[in-house]
Amino acid sequence: MTFARLQQGGPLRQVMVIAGLILFTCWSAGPVLWLILSSVLEQKALIAQPPDLSPRNFTLENFSTVIGAAASLGRGIVNSLIVAVFSTALALALGAPAAYALARLPVPRANNISFLILATQMLPGIAIAIPLFIVISRLGLIDNVLSLGVVYLSFNLPIVIWILRGFFLGIPAGIEKAAAIDGAGIFATFWHIILPISLPPLSAAAVFAFVEAWNEFFFALILTRQQAQTTPLVIANFAGQYQTVFGQMMAAAVISVAPVILLAILFRNQIIRGFADGMMKG
Amino acid sequence: MPAIELKHVSKSFGPYQACSDVNLIISEGEFVTLLGASGCGKTTTLNMVAGLEDVTSGDILMNDRRVNDLSPVERDVAMVFQNYALYPHMTVARNIGFTLKMRGLDAVEVARRVEKVAASLELSAMLDRLPSQLSGGQQQRVAIGRALVREPKFFLFDEPFSNLDAGLRLRMRAEVKELHQRLGVTSIFVTHDQEEAMSISDRIAVMNKGRIEQLGTPEEIYARPATRYVATFIGSPRIELAAGETVAFGNMSACRIGSVTLPLVRSLRPGRQVEIGVRPEHVRLGHSGIPATVRLVQPVGPATHVTLGWEGGTLVASLPGFARLSPGAAVFAEIDSAQLLVFDRESGELLS
Repeated sequence: MTFARLQQGGPLRQVMVIAGLILFTCWSAGPVLWLILSSVLEQKALIAQPPDLSPRNFTLENFSTVIGAAASLGRGIVNSLIVAVFSTALALALGAPAAYALARLPVPRANNISFLILATQMLPGIAIAIPLFIVISRLGLIDNVLSLGVVYLSFNLPIVIWILRGFFLGIPAGIEKAAAIDGAGIFATFWHIILPISLPPLSAAAVFAFVEAWNEFFFALILTRQQAQTTPLVIANFAGQYQTVFGQMMAAAVISVAPVILLAILFRNQIIRGFADGMMKG
Repeated sequence: MPAIELKHVSKSFGPYQACSDVNLIISEGEFVTLLGASGCGKTTTLNMVAGLEDVTSGDILMNDRRVNDLSPVERDVAMVFQNYALYPHMTVARNIGFTLKMRGLDAVEVARRVEKVAASLELSAMLDRLPSQLSGGQQQRVAIGRALVREPKFFLFDEPFSNLDAGLRLRMRAEVKELHQRLGVTSIFVTHDQEEAMSISDRIAVMNKGRIEQLGTPEEIYARPATRYVATFIGSPRIELAAGETVAFGNMSACRIGSVTLPLVRSLRPGRQVEIGVRPEHVRLGHSGIPATVRLVQPVGPATHVTLGWEGGTLVASLPGFARLSPGAAVFAEIDSAQLLVFDRESGELLS
């Protein structure tokens, strides 16, 4: 909502809109702020009832400890990066042409196919966990970063197809006609015209897929052991049998969310435009 | 040898018949306009000529070669679209040169030809700009440049000026006509603007409900419209119609409308149910004639359009200069009988 549009309503409406936005911001940002706060508090201050927020309890020791014992966290971050980049890149490489075909080419029953693709997302993860474990295990791919990437790809691909298809449906037909007159075939049109003008939805889909893969815990837990463990698992390991070192766990979490937040800030405008385009024309 | 020939061309989208039995022969270097209201099938016809739509039945020939199954590139057509359809991420130079790149020309040759076309369209200073940084008229010139750079055999225009404001539309119209006179490339132009069609074309095909109602020069279409539809579509202010019946009038025929009898120049069987059409420039105000009342006076500069009420309905008189008339005034309208158009009331076909 732009400021001008906000001004259009009466004062009561303005107050309600602003109050709603503040509430939503607190709701969204609260856990993140608490995470950051927890990461810089000493353990005893953090677990005190209520938490003791006096300045003397603030420390960067959690970070130095986590970074000092960086082997596992470092490996987790590298694994997460490989898995997220691998599944995101493949989801875009496969999803963009598929979405284009379903949106713009004379594919019979394109709508039905699209809904079928979306329907694969309606199964809860737990329902496919055991069969998936058996398949991956028989292939000898347990604790393998790339096999985890392929699993994430299967979750991300349908979402990427849906985001991009919504955008492709809204592209004016004139552009493709002009390309056809100019001598571009389907592939040349897709490569030279459609992809470059689709950067906003591509960015939105990429960030979405990346974050999904980066944050995923459940399948990483059952499909990895040691070598392929991703960041969420490494962070969870800070909960020991007798003691959970909350401060260090939160510090590790702060380090792990940093790339995602950075990504979101960098592509902020593209993401908003991408999602808005996709939603209007879905 | 006709440059473009459409033989019994039909197109349907499922149950919807967009074009039916379209026949059209266009000579080398001719400028033909497909004119009609929206949904009449003119753009579909153009798309079929371009190779952007398949033909459901019939044949399209270009230079005597059947092109039904050929791509737009193989047909060697260039097209200018209503919404310009420029590539938003490419600069003007890349937009114009894209088609040459697709044909595998080397970068030096592409740049040379782009610069030449840009110079002819006064776009040289804008080659590095994106379409979003151009005005509507400049964007349309880029679209024309993109069509020109290929030096194609045929030009197709799909309502290219619809999105431009009135002044710019007139200028672009003149530019396209001048371009056609200079290059002499066979062209098909689609528009719903009858004045545009009249001013730019060698011949006009008036389309209605997927068919060509009449094909002729602008003069033929205006002076001898084949049907009531064509008569009402062409001309501004539009022709006024009045229902009547033919009667004997000495050796000749006349049309009786209420108590008014209008002599006709052609003899028609008495008792025929007809509609007469009167164009504004064939109505004068005088001291005798049909009694009428002034309803509306619209000065437009060179002429004043006066709407009159009479027994048969409405007439519009186009009078030179500024006419001093007031609504409600009683006048006499004189109609030039030689210019009367008589249509069969049922079929709508021209009888006179």
